Amino acid sequence: MPPPASDRRGFIRQVVGATAAVPLAPVLTGGVAASALAANAPSPAACKPADNASGYISLSRDEAAFVETLVNIMCPADELTPNGVDCGLPTYIDRQLAGDFGRGAKRYSRGPWQQGKPEHGCQLPLTPEQHFKAGIAAANEACVARYGAPLDQVRAAEAAAFVADLGAGKVVDDRLPMAAWFNELVYPLFTQACFADPIYGGNRDKVFWRLIGYPGLPATNTVNVVQYRGKPFPGSKNPKSIADFS
Amino acid sequence: MIRKLPGRTVVMVGGGMTAGLAARQLTNANVEVLVLERGGEHANGAEARLPTQRDELRWDTRQGLVQDWSVQTYTLRHHRSETALPVRWMEAFLPGEGLGGAGNHWNGHTWRWSEYEPQIRTRNESRYGKRAIPKDVPLQDWGTTYAEMRPYHELFEKLFGIAGKAGNIQGTLHEGGNPFEAPRDSEFPQKPLEFGEAGLTFKATAERLGYKPFPTPAANSSAPYTNPDGQQLGQCQYCGHCERFICEARAKASPALLLYPMLRERKGFEVRLHCHVLGIEYDAAKKRVTGVHYVDLLSGQEYLQPADVVMLGAFTMSNTRLLLTSRIGRPYDPDRNSGVVGKNFCYQANSGVSLFMKDKWFNPFLATGSSQVYLDEFNNDNFDHSGLGFLGGGGINASQFHGRPIGARRVPPGTPRWGTAWKKANADWYLHSMALGIQGSCYPHRENFLDLDPTYTDAYGQPLVRMNFDWRDNELKMSKYVTQKMADIAKAVGADIVGPANPLAAPFDTRVYNTTHVTGGTIMGTDPGTSVVSPHLQHWDAQNLFIVGASVFAHNAGYNPTGPLAALALRTGDDIASYVRRPRFI
Repeated sequence: MPPPASDRRGFIRQVVGATAAVPLAPVLTGGVAASALAANAPSPAACKPADNASGYISLSRDEAAFVETLVNIMCPADELTPNGVDCGLPTYIDRQLAGDFGRGAKRYSRGPWQQGKPEHGCQLPLTPEQHFKAGIAAANEACVARYGAPLDQVRAAEAAAFVADLGAGKVVDDRLPMAAWFNELVYPLFTQACFADPIYGGNRDKVFWRLIGYPGLPATNTVNVVQYRGKPFPGSKNPKSIADFS
Repeated sequence: MIRKLPGRTVVMVGGGMTAGLAARQLTNANVEVLVLERGGEHANGAEARLPTQRDELRWDTRQGLVQDWSVQTYTLRHHRSETALPVRWMEAFLPGEGLGGAGNHWNGHTWRWSEYEPQIRTRNESRYGKRAIPKDVPLQDWGTTYAEMRPYHELFEKLFGIAGKAGNIQGTLHEGGNPFEAPRDSEFPQKPLEFGEAGLTFKATAERLGYKPFPTPAANSSAPYTNPDGQQLGQCQYCGHCERFICEARAKASPALLLYPMLRERKGFEVRLHCHVLGIEYDAAKKRVTGVHYVDLLSGQEYLQPADVVMLGAFTMSNTRLLLTSRIGRPYDPDRNSGVVGKNFCYQANSGVSLFMKDKWFNPFLATGSSQVYLDEFNNDNFDHSGLGFLGGGGINASQFHGRPIGARRVPPGTPRWGTAWKKANADWYLHSMALGIQGSCYPHRENFLDLDPTYTDAYGQPLVRMNFDWRDNELKMSKYVTQKMADIAKAVGADIVGPANPLAAPFDTRVYNTTHVTGGTIMGTDPGTSVVSPHLQHWDAQNLFIVGASVFAHNAGYNPTGPLAALALRTGDDIASYVRRPRFI
């Protein structure tokens, strides 16, 4: 069980107190300097995803099946990470589609609409959520035409080949530009799902941060920048996320 | 109905860096200042507090501190024969919104430009002959000099606690600094930031090749610091969350930290947040501006704020837009090569190369936004351009600003984009790769300009600014040359793998971050026929209208714009104070 929130707030106060020698810097500590304090922090093992991290808000059953198949191809279970579903990648994508991003927050959406050059960026009147789903429908249609079934129901080798073709612009649709759909909408969501803070539902248990050695939030590195210059950084092995400090 | 308010002495548009600095000078001289800022306050929000401040997705990927593109964006066409389309989500450059402006989410690089930059046309003509500047490159002198700006550079660097190593103190060169630096009065206010492993790696190679690398001058405070106004900075924690973030440790100098809290304590200073300026009231017959028209976003009420003096201190694009929509000054016409507003819109010509070294621990997250080692041998006009067929150049640098994992991962060329091999490459190289980069100059081109889009409007129903812009011949050639110099250095580092060093390529792409250093549109100069504002930044067609910002730069260099922008803002504060005492062309 993680300690109650009040204890964790106490932890932040402790950390701030410990760095009071550094004027005006209410910071999180990290690295070896913080190890004594970190011992009081909730251990990563105690931060298993809560129940509300499962299930979908935006994706329909069929859409979820497509996304789950896709992320398990793009992130197969291997010695490096669990598969994409177990890493929470579809959850991340679903939450993004259901939220501000999916609704096109901060995106200019006035007409008139016309096709532009790639360098103009996406010029479709669809919201990113609508765009994402229209692409799934078009991709599945192409997959049915090619292999006789939607992506989640074809053989593993066929699915992998199909996804490779999506990325290479070899899956075409009469109306929707599929290469831009995959490379400029789907692919960034995939990498964000892997590497964003786990609070967004992906990168479960900080698995991708651990994989590459990103230490996460802690950073009172004024000493560390010299001490660990050119050397392995201890914090890389035990990354800390927003939830660890909330 | 528009409500008319009681008059004010000086009204500034935009609560960012330039307004804060000019207001400091004005309130020091007991001149009343009102600042109108379209955005709100960031100081106590999730963006400025732990742990939410450390959220790459929210502040970086999703541009949490950046202008809301749904309200106002820009259209783009690469050539006049095309129809411009709105950039619906801009990645290339990132204007700020809210008190402090882009100064909240800047990286902190603070340059003095080379001594010759304000005389760039004279310099090139005297060095390479009058025919060296192509006819379609309207390179212009600024009408000011480094000597005039120098005391204000000194002041700004003290106010912002700039950390660096002097290369030229009163004409004497100093080891470890930039030998091409304009002469300074004294050493930087603070010692340089620590080098990272990437910087040291680059520095060692560059020195072996005979170059003189030096630390980038930084507003990221290398130690606790108190400025001449008594305002304090904390010590930089090398957390790798500078650009696109607010520094929660109060260690990145910014107007929201060092200027506005102080100004708000001063009598005669007021900032009104959530006030979007719609236009400047202009009396064309009297050649005067009379006030500012804005909408209060909290009440929906439109106001007319009369003013004795108006100062535009908004982002490059907004300064230009306000002149165009308010019909002040003649819009630039590329066909006739006449008019001035929108002219000389410039950007920066950049490129980069990745290096992979399996035995080196670069730990990219142990960084500041200005953890950068620079060399200036191929920047601007620091080298002989005879026979090269282009003008300008770029600074070559090893920049290690952060290790934020969505955006800062490098994998060797040929790595698949997903799957086990992709994951393995990320695991293998995240801690063991670095990059070299170039920030290059961009000289004006007759076809690169800003005007008003005929079709698309913002959320207030006003026309969007249209960018007529592409990379032109001069910048493409320059980039090819300097990128090759960078590739030579990259090769000499002795890395296990060196990625491709691709020069800048047309067309200009809005989907990829380049820099936020767009300049021009309201340029300064000595000739009203080719400039919008005078050498003292007074509008030629309205002497009580001053414009400050990178929009007055007549060309762009291979440096960040903040140094000269800030020096000009401080000087303008003094100029406006003088003007208020005795209205005249300064």
